[in-house]
Amino acid sequence: MKAMKYRNRRWLGVTLMAAALLVLAPVAEAAIDGITGTSFEFTAKEGYITTPDGGSIYCWGYSAQGTHSAHNDGRMQYPGPTLILNEGQTYTITLSNELPVPVSLIFPGLTVTAASGDVDGDITWEANAYDAGTEIAGTASYTFTADAPGTYLYHSGTNPKVQVEMGLLGVIVVRPATYDELDNRIAYNHADTAFGHEYLFLHTEMDPRVHQYYEFGMPTGMEWDNSDWWPVYWFFNGRAAPDDLLGSHVAWLPTQPYNLIPRAHPGDKVLMRVVGGGRESHPFHHHGDHALVIAMDGQLLDGDAGTPELDLAYQEFTMLVNPGQTMDAILDWTGEKMGWDIYGPPYYEVDQESGHICQDFFNNETGAIGSDGYADTEEQLCDPTSPTPCYPYEWCEDHGRAIPVLLPETQNLAFGAWWSGSPYLGSAGALPPGEGGLNPNSAYPFMWHSHKEKELTNNDIFPGGQLTMFFIEPHGVAID
Amino acid sequence: MQMFKRLDRTLVVVGALALVLAATPAGAQVFVQCPGDTNGNSVEDGGESWPANQQCFHLAAGDGFARMADGSPSYIFSFTDLNGLVSAPTSPTDAQGNTDAQNRVLEAGMLAAAWPAPTIVMYEGAEAYLTLTNVGMMIRPDLFDAHTVHFHGHPNMATVFDGLPESGLSINMGASLSYYYKITEPGTYMYHCHVEATEHMQMGMLGNLYVTPAQDGTPHSYDGKTYSQFVYNDGDGSTGYDRAYPIQLGSFDWDFHNASWTVQPLPFADMKDEYFMINGRGYPDTVIPGTMAAQPLDPDTGEDLNGPVDSQEVSSLITALPGERVLLRVSNLNVTTENTLMSPSIPMTVVGRDAKQLLNPAGDPLYYQTNSVTMGGGMSYDVMLDIPTTALSGETYFLYSSNLYQLANHDESEAGLGGMLTEIVIQ
Repeated sequence: MKAMKYRNRRWLGVTLMAAALLVLAPVAEAAIDGITGTSFEFTAKEGYITTPDGGSIYCWGYSAQGTHSAHNDGRMQYPGPTLILNEGQTYTITLSNELPVPVSLIFPGLTVTAASGDVDGDITWEANAYDAGTEIAGTASYTFTADAPGTYLYHSGTNPKVQVEMGLLGVIVVRPATYDELDNRIAYNHADTAFGHEYLFLHTEMDPRVHQYYEFGMPTGMEWDNSDWWPVYWFFNGRAAPDDLLGSHVAWLPTQPYNLIPRAHPGDKVLMRVVGGGRESHPFHHHGDHALVIAMDGQLLDGDAGTPELDLAYQEFTMLVNPGQTMDAILDWTGEKMGWDIYGPPYYEVDQESGHICQDFFNNETGAIGSDGYADTEEQLCDPTSPTPCYPYEWCEDHGRAIPVLLPETQNLAFGAWWSGSPYLGSAGALPPGEGGLNPNSAYPFMWHSHKEKELTNNDIFPGGQLTMFFIEPHGVAID
Repeated sequence: MQMFKRLDRTLVVVGALALVLAATPAGAQVFVQCPGDTNGNSVEDGGESWPANQQCFHLAAGDGFARMADGSPSYIFSFTDLNGLVSAPTSPTDAQGNTDAQNRVLEAGMLAAAWPAPTIVMYEGAEAYLTLTNVGMMIRPDLFDAHTVHFHGHPNMATVFDGLPESGLSINMGASLSYYYKITEPGTYMYHCHVEATEHMQMGMLGNLYVTPAQDGTPHSYDGKTYSQFVYNDGDGSTGYDRAYPIQLGSFDWDFHNASWTVQPLPFADMKDEYFMINGRGYPDTVIPGTMAAQPLDPDTGEDLNGPVDSQEVSSLITALPGERVLLRVSNLNVTTENTLMSPSIPMTVVGRDAKQLLNPAGDPLYYQTNSVTMGGGMSYDVMLDIPTTALSGETYFLYSSNLYQLANHDESEAGLGGMLTEIVIQ
């Protein structure tokens, strides 16, 4: 227990050092990374992605050109550029094809109003394969309307069983017409879809043998067998863990620009936009708390406009993400009702004479006067930076209680790299040399992962795959 | 590698105890934390006075064997129930920091892993203390794995008690770590070890865990019947039931278990489950009432690999009277595939999911009727089966995975029904 007597300020130097070491892994954006506009120039290109086991996989992907070329320097990317669009507007994507096969774009759940191209293919108009002799790229164009807010998938409509596996897919986020990044962060046109932070969880997987076949130019005798497909890599947003925990747009992952480091403060509403982009279903388990599923496939789970609540929304702790589906869910972790004070009991706060307070004069959600069990919000003058701090959403009933058990002695423990050394949020503790180190803010990190644990591997190596860490950050740690 | 199989069990345990203790530094200790429990056996006895509403549990984490329904033994990692074993010091501390009582606890946990892990039942309002003691892997003395308990789905968890080794603490061999949970939300959860999750979970560190509601004992009438047991605090008896059964879906990859047993590289990429089970047994073992008497036997020597231990205690036989309402607490801890559990003849009424009563945000029920639930690992459903009043005594209904290839034990093709199937027998 001795190890727990340190308050974060005392460890500021250590924290800053650790933070300096982590500049290579900058904090995540709380908004989803993507491109905006009304028209987009896509080029389908070949390229390579890398996997954390040192693998290099040949892929096909969409790249943003023209006015959006800065997004990923015009490179092929996996997944394709995330499009952040607005409800009711019409968008055009022109597609240029530099691949050895015809390619196209489809937009399940959205209304395509015009499509053109070199060939009228099985599903939609297609761009011809690149002609290496004449150096002419195939072309196609698609105009669609972002009919309704939500989370959508786009992908190739040409031999999709191959081309989506090869990387020709991406995500579309449609903002409600009344969305405002500062004042009205809503996922749908409904007040109960309000959120503070949003993150994308695009689930995909790969069988590298498929990619090798196309990498080597489709040689006779090396054909891959669709019935023998056997993935050994699993990705969030195009990166297998732990690469998804690196910064976005890092130079050494030039074709995998998107990361996934969900973060929130206690009480913040986190919108999870969860997308099944591959062939498999994935049970997505979010440690820490339940979430409320508010929409599927861009459809708000609201069956009856007559009631103010989302009357088909339901709670879960593991979401089954099926191929081609999207699900939106909201989670708000408060740390309530655990039976002890997650900010530490007063005696423990050696830097503070009186310890923190749990001020509960208002209902946090409605603003009405009266206790709701939670410490008030910052707007209600619960100030985490005060000399006598108040931590918003603290569960006041548990205020001042220490954790009810003794932790084992150091030599009996194995320590996680994200263990701060203390059971209390925002507090660091002494750790043996070489232990911990990935948690400079003394956050509470929770694993969010596929609960098909086989998928927590990178080609036979554990850990990896569909896995990231969700950080409950102490109040006062900036997230945006 | 056959050498491991042929070792006499007693020698293995004694030898391994020495190895575990030798590998653990001085100061290591078995330490049950349970306020008021003076003899450290996690049971309120001997004139002890515990705080109100306290539950204590003591689990060992280690290895052992289970018998598959085709008679094959599977080497497993799992937990063992140590409740009732006195662990408080009764003699001077030895050089390793443990007393005789503590060493007896370690010995009791060795090569005694249960499949599935012991069922944990908590009640709403309880303060639960769960002590985990790592007894080491007897068959794999080359492993020094730590272990944890992940209370899967517990609302508002903190990292210190989440059992996630990457963000917290896990316990080394020969010592104990205590978890504290304030139990506030009834429902069907599950638990498992989260250390090297793919390996430890494939190896069997999985168990049923559920929380009964405060409403239990308060009669509520619903649909013409009065119940005193409920899944949730429904206020209207709509989650009331006559009988309840935990039904945990899981499966093993024989190649993986065999590789672990014989100290070979573990096939993560090639992992493909072949033994499909409910509560740690394939059909027809699922319908054996109570503890399974048949033991995992060494295929070469015929030796009982479990020695005096019975490792498979959880039956999946469902018995009911006509007209009764049967609750299935279905959870899935499969690590390689989804399962669709089907009740073809008796409709399922789904009243809960992932330890939440199936209500919308306005508090209105979203219960629905179906004949199947599709679940990936880490999901749970609370399902009611209303046994027809016209059902006759002796009739048998089936509950099975409708992923039909899962109705087999390993490579059985012609042996008839097997795998993830159990029976509902009308009394």
